[in-house]
Amino acid sequence: MTPAHTGIVAETGPVRVSFAIDDARRDSEAVGEHAEWRTATEDELKVGFDQGLEACLREVFRRSAPLIYTIAYRALGSSTDGEEITQDVLVSAWRARASYQADKGSLSGWLIGIARHRIVDRQRARGRDLRLVQAVTKQTDVQTQPEALSTLVDRIVLTEEIGRLPHPRGTIIQLAFWEGRSYPQIAEQLDLPIGTVKSHARRALLHLRTQLAEVTS
Amino acid sequence: MTHLEPDRLADSALGTDDPLTAAEQNHLAGCPECRDQLAELSRVAELSHHPEELAQVPADAIWRSVQGQLASPAPAPAITEVAAKLPPSPPNVSEPPPSSPTVTELPRRIPRPRPWLLMAAAAVVGLTIGIGVTTVAVRDQADVTSSTALNALPGQTGQGTAELVSDRGRPELRVQIDAPPTPDRYREVWLINTDGQRMYTLGVLPDDGRASYPVPPELAGQLEGFTIVDVSIEPYDGKPAHSRESQVRGTLPT
Repeated sequence: MTPAHTGIVAETGPVRVSFAIDDARRDSEAVGEHAEWRTATEDELKVGFDQGLEACLREVFRRSAPLIYTIAYRALGSSTDGEEITQDVLVSAWRARASYQADKGSLSGWLIGIARHRIVDRQRARGRDLRLVQAVTKQTDVQTQPEALSTLVDRIVLTEEIGRLPHPRGTIIQLAFWEGRSYPQIAEQLDLPIGTVKSHARRALLHLRTQLAEVTS
Repeated sequence: MTHLEPDRLADSALGTDDPLTAAEQNHLAGCPECRDQLAELSRVAELSHHPEELAQVPADAIWRSVQGQLASPAPAPAITEVAAKLPPSPPNVSEPPPSSPTVTELPRRIPRPRPWLLMAAAAVVGLTIGIGVTTVAVRDQADVTSSTALNALPGQTGQGTAELVSDRGRPELRVQIDAPPTPDRYREVWLINTDGQRMYTLGVLPDDGRASYPVPPELAGQLEGFTIVDVSIEPYDGKPAHSRESQVRGTLPT
């Protein structure tokens, strides 16, 4: 991160993260056929989506809308943009589902990719254009704005993944990363051996790396 | 020495008080693979320190809009969608699956394509087939003059190769990328000058990411600085200029 990126990625201090996905799990609105998909694995969901099952679209929406909305909202700074892009991404993906190649990556990665394009379109429409000259001649530092967008996407994805980590792994990572505690401090606070704490931290980091790669490539 | 254990790389990225041994550091210095792994883990660790609060998504309102849009007729399909439905369809494009009974709530009405659209689509199919035939016919008789890997730009995914080949004196550029296409977009292959200002378009890249393009001999001969092979993602906006959004890129050695 360089200061040049802060135009789009605002710095935030430690925040209390509310996990809309978990909250949504508790709502009583979704019933019947859709409910059956709630426990579906990502692979099962891919198959159902590909077959055009509407209940499946509903579940894909439930799982991915918080991420897509947050990315669009944060990148463009308006809730209207966030809503329109989330809606547009789901509708486009549904209509283009025949061209989705499951072996080329995860469904959420595909949706985030579509969202990225829509966001770039809007940014461009606002006149925040990029000069191709700059993009081509400095290959290591190209397309500054997309890079900032991709950093934002990665952070949002990672925040959500950290929130999904089981206890005590999630707690350890939140204390270490978000609250800046040392590993001995965490061991004392959670009453766990220091070796266990470090081992959880290692496993968590390797897991986060895998999940991020799954979504963004 | 074998590669470093993932746990050790994670330790190093996390900055725990288990520093790498001299032997491990030695290995790292001489092993690009382990260095890449460490760099990736360090980046994940760094990014993970900055949580991004998930916004409260107005899910119900958005879902109603999604349903509303899907219940109304779909807009006229993009040219490539029509092309995919015309015989013979490119092998990589699968037909939409047969509709299931549950879809009745969401009718997918694709309007009958207008004649001009069919003609345009036929032209696209013709072009695609033409390219395919060329590729197959010359595969075994051409010499590779130079080649480069194509790598994803920041924020993009995918990779591939570009080869400048000479087929019985006729230069052509063969592009092969493994990168997902985007709905409502097509891709275009460009030769861009290292000055970053001048460029030639070579043509449309089919969704399967493989194509071969004739290159004017004057251009291929000296390349004159037109050594950057660029694949762009283009909206259907009728504008011939580069969209300024590139998916992958590489530079041919001169």
